[in-house]
Amino acid sequence: MKKLYIFGALACLFTACKPSVNITVPPTAGDADFRSYLAIGNSLTAGYADNSLYVTGQLNSYPERLFEQFALIADRGAQGNFYQPLLHGDMGYPSARKELAMTYGCNGDTSLSPIDLSYFSADAQDAARYVSPGPNGQINNIAVPGIRIADYSFVSYGAVNPYAARFYNAPSTGTPQNELEYRVSNLHPTFFTMWLGANDVLGYATAGGQGDGSGNALPPIPNFYNRNDITPTPVFDTNYGRAVATAISTGAKGALINIPDITKIPFFTTIPANGLVLTRQSQADSLTAFYSNTLKYVFTLGANYFIVRDNLGNLRQAVPGELILLTTPKDSLTCAGWGSYKAIPQQYVLTTEEIQNIKNATTRFNEKIAGYAFRNNLALVDMYSYMSTIESGIVYNGVKYNSQYVTGGAFSLDGVHLNPRGYAIIANKIIETINAKYHSTIPPVNVNKYRGILFPGDF
Amino acid sequence: MKKHLLAASMVLASFSSIGAGYQLNLQGIRQLAMGGTGTAMPWDASTIFYNPGGLSRLKGIQVYGSILGIMPSTAYGNYYLGSTRSEKQTFTPFNIYVGGPVREGSRVGLGLGIYTPFGSGLKWDDNWIGKYIVQSIELKSFFFQPTISYRFSNFLSGGLGLIYATGTFDFKQALPVQNSYEEAGTLTLHGNANGVGFNAGLQMKFSERFQVGLTYRSQVTMNIGGGSANFNVPSSLRSSFPNTRFETFLPLPQVASIGFAIKPLNNERLTLQLDLNYTGWNSYDSLRINFAEHTTSLQDNHAPRHYRNTLTTRLGANYKISKIVSVMAGGAYDPTPVVNGYVSPDLPDADHIVITMGAAVKPIKRFTILAACEFVTTPKRNTTYDFAGFGGTFWTQAITPGIGIYYNF
Repeated sequence: MKKLYIFGALACLFTACKPSVNITVPPTAGDADFRSYLAIGNSLTAGYADNSLYVTGQLNSYPERLFEQFALIADRGAQGNFYQPLLHGDMGYPSARKELAMTYGCNGDTSLSPIDLSYFSADAQDAARYVSPGPNGQINNIAVPGIRIADYSFVSYGAVNPYAARFYNAPSTGTPQNELEYRVSNLHPTFFTMWLGANDVLGYATAGGQGDGSGNALPPIPNFYNRNDITPTPVFDTNYGRAVATAISTGAKGALINIPDITKIPFFTTIPANGLVLTRQSQADSLTAFYSNTLKYVFTLGANYFIVRDNLGNLRQAVPGELILLTTPKDSLTCAGWGSYKAIPQQYVLTTEEIQNIKNATTRFNEKIAGYAFRNNLALVDMYSYMSTIESGIVYNGVKYNSQYVTGGAFSLDGVHLNPRGYAIIANKIIETINAKYHSTIPPVNVNKYRGILFPGDF
Repeated sequence: MKKHLLAASMVLASFSSIGAGYQLNLQGIRQLAMGGTGTAMPWDASTIFYNPGGLSRLKGIQVYGSILGIMPSTAYGNYYLGSTRSEKQTFTPFNIYVGGPVREGSRVGLGLGIYTPFGSGLKWDDNWIGKYIVQSIELKSFFFQPTISYRFSNFLSGGLGLIYATGTFDFKQALPVQNSYEEAGTLTLHGNANGVGFNAGLQMKFSERFQVGLTYRSQVTMNIGGGSANFNVPSSLRSSFPNTRFETFLPLPQVASIGFAIKPLNNERLTLQLDLNYTGWNSYDSLRINFAEHTTSLQDNHAPRHYRNTLTTRLGANYKISKIVSVMAGGAYDPTPVVNGYVSPDLPDADHIVITMGAAVKPIKRFTILAACEFVTTPKRNTTYDFAGFGGTFWTQAITPGIGIYYNF
């Protein structure tokens, strides 16, 4: 009997306790065809991060992530390699990328802050022209940091944009539209993604709303619109429509990605408009006295709205909802009296009216983008709405991501572009939309596998 | 402007053990072999746990000891994140009981039980998909239960034991802050836990062939105060994540049981038992980890649990082959208290299906050797832990052999 029991126990020991769960959902292409993928876009599509372009950023771009997932599909999945106009190294091109470091502030405090890469030296090989090793000189990601829809009809664009100059087929004579036509004829894409338009409003915003803002300003040079202003809607419409027509000319299916709500990115939300924090009553009294004959504001202990200069040159206190740019020099705020005894200059401030200009333009452009998606039966990735989701936060396998600067885990150190985890989150949003539109089953990417913000110092 | 820009958010996991919740029912080898039944009649001194009311009905003072080896394994799979299995671990809970009627024929029984009603854990690979929720977790506990029992009549006996519980808690997870080598930080929690409660029971002997038992084990709230929380983070974040103390508590739920024992054969060699356990898991509503120090990055953590009460059904049989040898077998259905949406990978619980068997040998007078083996499996459970944005399919199996001895004085 005892022997029998031992037998039983042994049987259970050897056969049991090896549970395994292999869940497989075969990736399929659905109604789409991912064999040849072309990514069209600006800095967000190029993998720009930390205020520069560098090879690690490019290798973590969302098109790279999408290609990897498309390649998992057996039938009509992505084939071959994904060619991006890669830089040589990680210094940043043309200027230094940012890194986090412990820095000494003007008041003697140490803090963890973004600085230009401490060991930066321009990499000569970065400036060299990119020649694709792929078949037929194939390039799959033709995104150019800084490019606007407004630029799509500007001849010799390579002369004004070093990123375009690096790989454009005809940098000194062609337009970005010509480049797109060349790449489409060269690659014969079966699928494309297009994320353009953000810079048509972002330039105005990051310059503190210094342009006209109405969206009706004329170009100073033919077809070259002011970088710090909002693109006129008819120009946007014409150029965007032409680009879409080219992208689908080979019968490709694709996804149009709309313009995110840029007023919610950390570049504009990190320094609060009421960031003038007074810790002693005497500070408040001195400021009240200082403005007693002019503005007649009463300053109080705690948070006060900064003193700013608006677009008309008027000195006033910021009002709720106004935005202070991340690029506002921190030492000037801390030690030089900016925002209190001196106004924060207007190029660092987005006033209520300027914010409204940005929102109106974004809405106009997104209506156009939605129209092109609808008329051409393309997937529309609503990044505008998704920004609100990220702002309030998403949790992914135990990690919380939101649009807070540095702590939020998704944005890079420039507060505008994403870090590799953020780009992976974007890739998943695009995949979700593609799957819904084309009945494909492309698996999402594992966001946490990629790097987030890197902090200095050992454990 | 904040002195330190930084740092990260985290989602703390909860802690607990393998088994539907923490109700292990490994406190007696013969009872284990009979599907975990043992409320209705006293088989040996382990009745101190199963029903204190039976202690006064033992033949005399008995010394009882047993040890088990729990070998759990949990598999995880997700269609795009891949699959993995928890690391091999063996846990060795033990039980010691001393007790019985104070002298032959006495109506009063006294005893002491030292047992480990939960003492298990789970360890995943340090780099697994859910590492930001849990990398490893372990909870050890010892219950000390001095017990008094009184035999009112041949029909009725009752008993009461007071419980003092003590234990340790260890937990490790990755933190979403990376150094320049892209290595993630970690949080390690270690604490000592203790709590009090009681265990009461009645046994009714309707005849030699039909007995009924009732027990109530109170909730034991395990308090952890002054545990240590150690953050392993890049040096630039040290002031955001200071090493500090933490406190929390974990309710071990109340359990009400009813048990029946029947000897259907005229020769009385066969005993069949049925036990029903109603467990008040809904007291485990949330897990709060409170840190002694706070920063903008380090805040108290509050994870919702919303456990639900469960009814466990247990069946067992004991067949006395001879005066020397008996064999046992049994099974149980132990539904999970964890509802969908709240299934954390630190306790990826599911309904438990339990199969048990065992044998008892009495080679010499007064001395008995017991052996049992339990096999537990769950259905594959495809579920989520919404609090941490985590999901997948889990499948848990555990094999638990155990041996025990007792000696009657």
